Amino acid sequence: MLLSPFVGLLVLLCLKNEQKFLIRAVSVVASGISLALSIFTFVAYDKGLGGLQFVEKYEWVQTFGITYFVGVEGLNAPMLLLTGIVIFTGCLTMWELEDRTKEYFIWMMALVTGVFGVFMSYDMFFFFLFYEIAVVPMYILILVWGSTRKEYAAMKLTLYLMAGSGLIIPGILLLYASSGLNTFNMLLLHGANFSPWVQKVAFILLFFGFGVLAAVWPLHTWSPVGHVAAPTAVSMLHAGVLMKLGSFAILRVGMYLLPEGFQYWANLMMILATAGIVYGVFVGLAQTDLKYVIGYSSVSHMGIVCLGLATGTIDGLNGAVFQMFAHGIMTALFFSSVGYIYDRTHTRDIHELGGFSKIMPVASAFFITAALCGAGVPGMASFWAELLVFVAAVQVFPVAGLLAIAALVLGALFALRVVQSTFFNEPNPKFVHFEDVSPFLGIPRMILIGTLLFFGFFPQIMVSMIKSSVVPFLQGM
Amino acid sequence: MVFSDPILLGCLLTVFLPLSAFALIMIFTRDNPKLSLAISLVAATIPLIIAWTFFFKLGGRAPIIYNFDWMVSDLVKVPFGFLLDPTSLVMFVIVATISWLVQVYSIGYMAGDPGFGRYYADLSLFALAMLTLVISSGLLQLYIAWELVGLASYLLIGFWYEKFSASEAGKKAFVVTRFGDIGFFMGLVFLVIFYGSLDIATVNSAAVANSMPPWLITTSGLLIFCGVMGKSAQFPLHVWLPDAMEGPTPVSALLHSATMVAAGVFLMTRIFPFFAASATTMTVILAISTLTLILSSTIALAATDIKQVWAYSTVSQLGFMAMGLAAAALASGTLFAGYYHLTTHAAFKALLFLCSGVFIHHFGTNDFFTMATQGGRKLVIPMACITIAALALAGIFPFAGFFSKELILTALAHLDNKLWLVLGLFGAFLTAYYSFRVIFVMLFPKSPEAYSKVPGHIAHVEDEAHGHGAHGHADDAHGHGHDEHHGVPWVMIFPLLVLASFTLILGFCQDYLEKLLLGASHPHAMNYFLLVAAVGCALSGIALAWLDWGRKDAKCVGFISRFPALQTFFIQKWYMDHFWRWFLNRFIYGIFSKWFTYNDRRVVDGGVDAVAFSTVGSGRLLSFIQTAFLQYNLLFMVVVLAGVGIYLMMGR
Repeated sequence: MLLSPFVGLLVLLCLKNEQKFLIRAVSVVASGISLALSIFTFVAYDKGLGGLQFVEKYEWVQTFGITYFVGVEGLNAPMLLLTGIVIFTGCLTMWELEDRTKEYFIWMMALVTGVFGVFMSYDMFFFFLFYEIAVVPMYILILVWGSTRKEYAAMKLTLYLMAGSGLIIPGILLLYASSGLNTFNMLLLHGANFSPWVQKVAFILLFFGFGVLAAVWPLHTWSPVGHVAAPTAVSMLHAGVLMKLGSFAILRVGMYLLPEGFQYWANLMMILATAGIVYGVFVGLAQTDLKYVIGYSSVSHMGIVCLGLATGTIDGLNGAVFQMFAHGIMTALFFSSVGYIYDRTHTRDIHELGGFSKIMPVASAFFITAALCGAGVPGMASFWAELLVFVAAVQVFPVAGLLAIAALVLGALFALRVVQSTFFNEPNPKFVHFEDVSPFLGIPRMILIGTLLFFGFFPQIMVSMIKSSVVPFLQGM
Repeated sequence: MVFSDPILLGCLLTVFLPLSAFALIMIFTRDNPKLSLAISLVAATIPLIIAWTFFFKLGGRAPIIYNFDWMVSDLVKVPFGFLLDPTSLVMFVIVATISWLVQVYSIGYMAGDPGFGRYYADLSLFALAMLTLVISSGLLQLYIAWELVGLASYLLIGFWYEKFSASEAGKKAFVVTRFGDIGFFMGLVFLVIFYGSLDIATVNSAAVANSMPPWLITTSGLLIFCGVMGKSAQFPLHVWLPDAMEGPTPVSALLHSATMVAAGVFLMTRIFPFFAASATTMTVILAISTLTLILSSTIALAATDIKQVWAYSTVSQLGFMAMGLAAAALASGTLFAGYYHLTTHAAFKALLFLCSGVFIHHFGTNDFFTMATQGGRKLVIPMACITIAALALAGIFPFAGFFSKELILTALAHLDNKLWLVLGLFGAFLTAYYSFRVIFVMLFPKSPEAYSKVPGHIAHVEDEAHGHGAHGHADDAHGHGHDEHHGVPWVMIFPLLVLASFTLILGFCQDYLEKLLLGASHPHAMNYFLLVAAVGCALSGIALAWLDWGRKDAKCVGFISRFPALQTFFIQKWYMDHFWRWFLNRFIYGIFSKWFTYNDRRVVDGGVDAVAFSTVGSGRLLSFIQTAFLQYNLLFMVVVLAGVGIYLMMGR
């Protein structure tokens, strides 16, 4: 799975710039293979058995205890599936790209290699290495293929993430140094008895370090700006997958290795998460750029993930991981629909758009589905995720939980406001001549909607998968 | 297993047929009206047959429960299933029947609309959600269906989405009901955490057996009632329902009068023992519903749009049902009065709307003064039906409304505080007045000039005399462009006749229904004073309406115009819309949203930008910052790594 985008990348390097069709085909095939593999691991993972499966392990630098150690368990299997789906649909979405096609897809593949790597690594060194691999291409992708203040956005994003890394490195090294085990292997480190202050310091470093990427309030401002500037597929990957890297890392590195640190800071996490949920919705209400609106809804939804993590209960973690998955698919769908409209109209101002249900009924249906999912309508995957998080949250932090639930009303207002002014009312005569989504370009969106509905109708498949790892995970704490 | 059990199979079919109809139409046959119609009708007819079969076969039997684990996390366990007991069976029949009738009616009403296929898909979605709501076995499943019903309502209200008013009304409906739904959701969350089960039967028996802490019953009860307030349009969340009349009229009949808005009251009957276990909850409900009754009846007597009159009438009748239930609970009575009124109301209110739909369709206006002056009474069957329905609404013997209203008033009379009874009677008086205001205006039209003084009525312009010329009225922007009057097709007449016969028959089914619902029928000691009072109120309402609107030399201004301040107050709908608009603009957008956004741009983001710019000096270009900072960062990384390396080496 890790290899296929990487091989795709190498093949792409060898191709000439002119062979656009081939370039696209190679990247679609490469991402298709990773999708197939991620589905395979998701299905073939034995939930009854639990634990790590599909393990690959090679010693790398013995002096420092660095091993190449990847595997799949219930926590990351959904993330892998998410990445597989988003990259595949992302490649299909960008089929029409004409500008520097080759370089574009090369960077996409590099990014995805990194993402897969992070989700699968059980060695902190590789974890961080892949993390950086995933972050750097983002800068270039936004800078070259972006729009709307792209230099500013790319710079801002990079600075933020570098600052985050600046916190992560000391955190990881602190763990490495104080464990005395001379290993980066997370499973081994898990057994180490860190002293309480190491736990507390390291956890807060890691939390804020990774929290930047997860858009934890108040470190979120790079994310809407970044979404807006990025080209469609990059926005999809960015909001759909990259932000989950952050929350996943908090779970995998922070909470897993430092349970006491987590207990100590759980209240802070809860406060920041709730602030993010409420704040994101309110700010989103005032936005007029479609992508800004979605960007702030992401801040709010990632707050729900964080809140779930902060509860530290089975329901909360199930919900948080499920929400990561559901939100990833949902935002990917959002951005791919917006991208389609923007590519044609060259505006994302919701006051200028209007009546798109008449002009492009299919494209509108895609967006409206995503918006309804964002508003938490049952039948979509995120309903279940939010249900789990909210129950856990009310149980552990009653006030925060109730506040988060109350924010749902505004979430609905938020989503419907955009839908109304973009897709309903009289069509803007400027845009009536545009064509609807062609069946080919409809495929990626249909896949995303299908996934949302599938897990909306059969949540148990996802929940039992996550739970198989969450239960031992929490017992380990 | 599924096929060997016809009851389970029936339940599954009722859920899956509309679902597949929705999916099929939306994905494949949206642009083919005939095929969409066929699919949707099939998916509506089979549940209809199933509903009636169940009703007769299972009516007297013990509740039948099916449960399947759908999602099991840790604390949160969500079973899906079906609960067939008399309470759900009656509602099942109501929903299936009216939904089928409305689908038939819409063949005529929506003919030629460009969104015909989409309309039937949305109706199927509604049928799916509403039927699931009725027969679901757990509260969370009910909540899911409840939300889906809201979604269907959103789509159907905003069906003619090109119109700003329609899309706005849809949004308003969704958001306002959502406002109540979060209360419902919180109530459920409390129940999950502190009780552990959301199974309807379990919750009810626990409440009866006192095995639940009283604070939980009160808190959850009140929170769940928030959901009822939203869906059943109780004060102060009633504001969405009148606006919802932007949708096509058959939709108003189905969703916004007979079934969907009754879902809130249905929920109260569904977990009646649970609600009844807390006197506090019930008193709050009684107060809110009484206020709703008075508020909406007074607004209705000043409205000029026929659908608005019936919409406010729906709000008031829902308040009436909730009053009946609350009063019964406080006086340890049964749920029968409220439920019976729900049943009869479903029949006569759907009839009122469908009749009005005929007029609206025919004359292309919603203003009943205009309809009257253009000869509305010449449509004999609809006119007869609407009169029957209005008689039932006013509570005149022998129409259905008489019996159910009588029961509710009896329940109110059992309360110690007679104020509730007086207010209930006053509500009945207003109801009779506003419904007969419409009827008399339509039956005995005066010259158009006579109505020119009616506030809100748009005086009719002569050269637009042929109905459809009068554009600008709410209902004709949907493609009925032709100038001829429509003949009234039989598909629109047939449902009227069916509903009218229900309105006539239902009153005499009281004993049968009571036996079915409660297991035994109690002979009613007739309270003659109450009977006289109720009928007196209704008759005096009608008489006043006759004096104001019906008789030859009537002034046609309404008694309320004696009190201009009150009249304005009623026409402005008690300023509730203004209040919500003000609240939304002032607080949500004005303070929080604006302030947070400002904060985001200037403080959180601005602060970071300031740090970034000052790092390199504010005058430089971004490209310089980029190189400078990356190197700086790399340098930092190298230094740290080197430091750790040295540390490790020294540690050896």
